[in-house]
Amino acid sequence: MEMGWGPMNALTEGIDLPGLKKIVTQENINLYAEASRDFNPIHIDDDFAKKTPLGGTVAHGMLVLSYVSQMMAAAFGQRWLVGGKLDVRFKAPARPGDTITVSGKISELRKNDGQTMVNCSIECINPKGEIVIIGEAKLGV
Amino acid sequence: MSEQQIEYSQLETGYEFPHSTFKLDVAAISAYLKAVEDTSYPYQDKNLVPPMAIAAFAMAALSRGINLPPGTIHVSQEFEFVDTANTNESLTSHARISRKLSRGKFNLLDVDLNVCNQEHKTVLTGKTSFILPQQDN
Repeated sequence: MEMGWGPMNALTEGIDLPGLKKIVTQENINLYAEASRDFNPIHIDDDFAKKTPLGGTVAHGMLVLSYVSQMMAAAFGQRWLVGGKLDVRFKAPARPGDTITVSGKISELRKNDGQTMVNCSIECINPKGEIVIIGEAKLGV
Repeated sequence: MSEQQIEYSQLETGYEFPHSTFKLDVAAISAYLKAVEDTSYPYQDKNLVPPMAIAAFAMAALSRGINLPPGTIHVSQEFEFVDTANTNESLTSHARISRKLSRGKFNLLDVDLNVCNQEHKTVLTGKTSFILPQQDN
């Protein structure tokens, strides 16, 4: 299997991972609700959601988190799919129409038993510049 | 996992939800990939299932087993992708309350997840944390 990102052999602390921009749509949210069987009305019922403090529907946090995993899989391939770790906090909602900017940076490289452990700081930002998701992704290469 | 939901007020630290078995059928994975618009090469023309799809199905199983009050917020999430899984495999998800406590007007709830394959090998582990509004019981 391919191993993703080209410069795997030139991993350096401080470099940015190839990021993603994803547009959240209500259609995607509805499809995710179907796929995950999570039909919480805050995600899919705008009339309900408008009456809540959120003021409208919001994407499932797990939907947005999947974008982070997409970025990591694109960068590290199989190494991410077996042994990848995520530790994140959901800080703000992603709303239909939002373009979410997904970014990551290698924050630490550490040798451990012949393997290099890669720690990445990751963020998802909404169009207002608010952090939607923040946290760490880790893997061994 | 049975479709019978347990109320938040009934949960205690250490409570183990009935396990849930789900099949990674092709239609479900296709629907997931469409929802998240994932066209990554590992999943095209291969039987590999995205780990976050497995996570989503495990979370769905959890949500079928627990009745959380309106206003519940999913605040944090940990996952470790231990091994891959392929389409048409059946996986079993186990969930356990690892922490339940009250803090001011809110309750905190942590749930540990473990998903294993038919050979009882772990495929994914995780921890899900919720903040819930305090309710009068």
